[in-house]
Amino acid sequence: MSSNNIVVENLTFRYPGGDEAVLRDASVTIEPGEFTAVVGGNGSGKTTLCKTFNGLIPHFFEGTFDGGVTVAGTDTRESDVAELSKTVGYVFQDFENQLVQETVRGDVEFAPLNYGLDDYAERATRALETLGLDHLADRFIWELSGGQQHLVALAGVLAMDPEFIFVDEPAAQLDPRNARETYEQLRRLNEERDKTIIVIEHHSEFIADYCDEMVLVSDGGVAWKEPVEVGLNRLDDLLAHDIHPPQVTQIADGLPTEVGTLPSGRYPVTVDEAATAFQPAATRGSRAAVDGGAVATGADAAGLTERERDGDAVVTMRDVGHGYPTLREGYNRVLDGLDLELYEGDRVALVGANGSGKSTLLRLITGLESPDQGAVTVLGRDTSETLPEQLADDTVYIHQNPEEMFVEDTVRKDVAYYLENRDAPNADERVDEILAYLDLEHLADRDGRLMSLGQQRRASLGIGLATDPTVVLLDEPTGSLDLQSRREVTGMLRKAESRVETVVVASHDLQLVAAWANRVLVMGEGEVLADAPPAAVFSDPDLLAETDLRQPQVVELSRRLGLESPALSTDAMCETLARSFEDDAFADGGVADVGDVGGDVESNGGSR
Amino acid sequence: MKYVDALTDISVADIKVDLMRTAYDNEDALLNSFDPRVVLLWTVLFMIIPWLFYDTLPLAILLAAAFALAALSQVSKYLLALLLFGQVTNVGFFVVLVPLIGGTVRAVGHLGENAGRVVAGVMAGDASVFAETGSIVAAAVGRGIHTATTSQEVGIDAVGALVPFFLKLTIISVISLAVFSAMSPQKLSKGMLRLGVPRQLTFAIAYGYRMMPLLVEEYHALINSFRLRSKVPEKQGLFRWRYFYYLLTLSVKAFYPLIFNVAKRARVTVEAMETKGFSRSLGDERSQALRTEGMMVRTRDVTFVFGSLLFVAAVWVFT
Repeated sequence: MSSNNIVVENLTFRYPGGDEAVLRDASVTIEPGEFTAVVGGNGSGKTTLCKTFNGLIPHFFEGTFDGGVTVAGTDTRESDVAELSKTVGYVFQDFENQLVQETVRGDVEFAPLNYGLDDYAERATRALETLGLDHLADRFIWELSGGQQHLVALAGVLAMDPEFIFVDEPAAQLDPRNARETYEQLRRLNEERDKTIIVIEHHSEFIADYCDEMVLVSDGGVAWKEPVEVGLNRLDDLLAHDIHPPQVTQIADGLPTEVGTLPSGRYPVTVDEAATAFQPAATRGSRAAVDGGAVATGADAAGLTERERDGDAVVTMRDVGHGYPTLREGYNRVLDGLDLELYEGDRVALVGANGSGKSTLLRLITGLESPDQGAVTVLGRDTSETLPEQLADDTVYIHQNPEEMFVEDTVRKDVAYYLENRDAPNADERVDEILAYLDLEHLADRDGRLMSLGQQRRASLGIGLATDPTVVLLDEPTGSLDLQSRREVTGMLRKAESRVETVVVASHDLQLVAAWANRVLVMGEGEVLADAPPAAVFSDPDLLAETDLRQPQVVELSRRLGLESPALSTDAMCETLARSFEDDAFADGGVADVGDVGGDVESNGGSR
Repeated sequence: MKYVDALTDISVADIKVDLMRTAYDNEDALLNSFDPRVVLLWTVLFMIIPWLFYDTLPLAILLAAAFALAALSQVSKYLLALLLFGQVTNVGFFVVLVPLIGGTVRAVGHLGENAGRVVAGVMAGDASVFAETGSIVAAAVGRGIHTATTSQEVGIDAVGALVPFFLKLTIISVISLAVFSAMSPQKLSKGMLRLGVPRQLTFAIAYGYRMMPLLVEEYHALINSFRLRSKVPEKQGLFRWRYFYYLLTLSVKAFYPLIFNVAKRARVTVEAMETKGFSRSLGDERSQALRTEGMMVRTRDVTFVFGSLLFVAAVWVFT
């Protein structure tokens, strides 16, 4: 083989039956050993581009294909999917449907068996060991958590020992901790086994931490390919494509140039870089930080909860115990002796590791399940005595997986379903209003199931909003929200604020928690481990560690900079840093400091 | 409402786990320890054997043996209960149906015999015709009821004749339940492949096993989704039948979105199968050989087959 790279040259592709070309004159080269992130807005063609690497395009989707793709010296048109898949492994975004056999080992052996490889068993064992899954080999796929399933899909790909591994949006369907685990494994494969890794990724913080090259796909073409540090500094390009730059980069952008940049003149993209870049400003102004915006936020939140404690509780849980029978471990008690009161005006974030009972708690409030022990009261009604349909008059539950909320064949019918079932007056107007508000008008007549994840999310919010609820229960998708959807979630919550009394969001997205909640419930071991305003929870690293939560960059940065109380939003952090800079703008020595430390970081960054 | 909740969520969770155990937890199942081909052939054999018996006693003994086998294969108690319920109501149905039909036929017959008189009376416009019609109808109903009560015995006789038939059906059903819940899908596929069943079919079985729990979960979630957005009937009616009718409607409605979701999953799966070289493997002999290797008929397999045949022979001889 002359070259071990993937070369895409002037590729134009149109899906059969499609009106427009999805890819237009795209050219890019992926060199061996790279860890590359492909980014781009919805519908930019990034998935289509990546499906040309293993021949799914043009062999599986036979559209109009001009230009060429060469994988390790082979023109993909002259090979086939099965052959190319030996070189390019593919982990689908919808990885759950990629697993087709009933046991873990069965699935990992599936591909090698199809190729008639004698050492299929050893290949599977090796792949499972590499990813630390050997103890799960005989489990059934459906018993595994989402994170484990994703790794099994990756193991299935590794069993064929491909040179290129392509993973489609690992962070979209996984919670942040599992996504990080996947990335750690990918990094090991990249460093120790010399695999070339290509990911499609929205989350720039993962890109900054793990990738070294970055490709921006825009409008069917490749806009640019740059090293990650350079790419993530192109803030305008990123924002134009709905990609959230890392929090630290946003902070840097909000600061005066002298404070925000590294000596090389660019913004930091990781917390490490930011800590060194901002350190001088923070140390000089540490006194200012004490009464800075961060503290105000925390105090404000605490005051708010304090005030509402006077009224009647909207939701009360008394000594609640609940659990489920399981196949292998008998009865699994998820909640045990839980006491909880939720009040009017509470913006509750429910956080905790997987299996800590967040979803169970929400389902108990809906009345879909009655507690095995204890009592749950919602707006004065005991859920054990009330049908969920009746509780749904005032409560709305937005399912973690939007697909399971689509019961009709168009978005419009789905949004109208509740209203029509209850003979609501002017249902049509209400539906129109909601569709317009959530920017769903152009999607109104499409089937919810066939939309993108972000659009589905929006539609499911619309379905929830239509019920005009008093209590909103939002079971967040396991993957954290992207910029667009986060804006919509908070937007919907604000819009409904006049009527909604209590909002509970089960979330892995600590950025959302930090920016939006006024009360954080940390779940663990069947009970509430902590019930406090965000600032208090985030300044307790032990608690966070215990619940597998990872601090938002802005909080971690606060700690690294030695701020007494963590900043909860990028704006608060900017304010704190800018103020301290102004206080002491012309102090001596600071600049030299920045130079030394910043230089270090540069060289570290370069070696990754 | 507590008992409704007990029906709709606690027992749903229990039934789910029980069915999962039936379908998936087969490590200790007796039948799973034999060579799959032997088990498949044995099953075919025992689909035929019950038809060689005509008396109730030997069939009852065979049924008891089938139940013992089912117990060793950890068949779901809910499934067995459902099966038994089906068979018992079937038999009970005959006890009711035979006299009912007999009575109706008799009554209709009486009406038919007297139809001429009624028609003539109506044509004549005689007022007394109404009284006469009334008495004819009353006589018809009387005869119908009489026939029905006397033919109760006929009904029971009919059932008596049907008992061996139902026993045979039940034996076959219990045995197939035991076999298919005891054998792991891998073993089943392996056995079938070696016996020449096309790969597409054995894959479908394995894939079904993989997807079933997922679909059960999704179906449950969809029903819940419907419930949270629907309105319960305000009047619940006698025995809350309206409420249960409403739940039944939802559970049927929930199939539509389920089917759409399955179709959507299939799109990804088909692509993924291509990248895993499935279609390539269909004609590949090496792949086929690897898939079916490692099977061996051992003494214990043979012992099992002959042991069970011996048992049947003993039943034959001693009853």
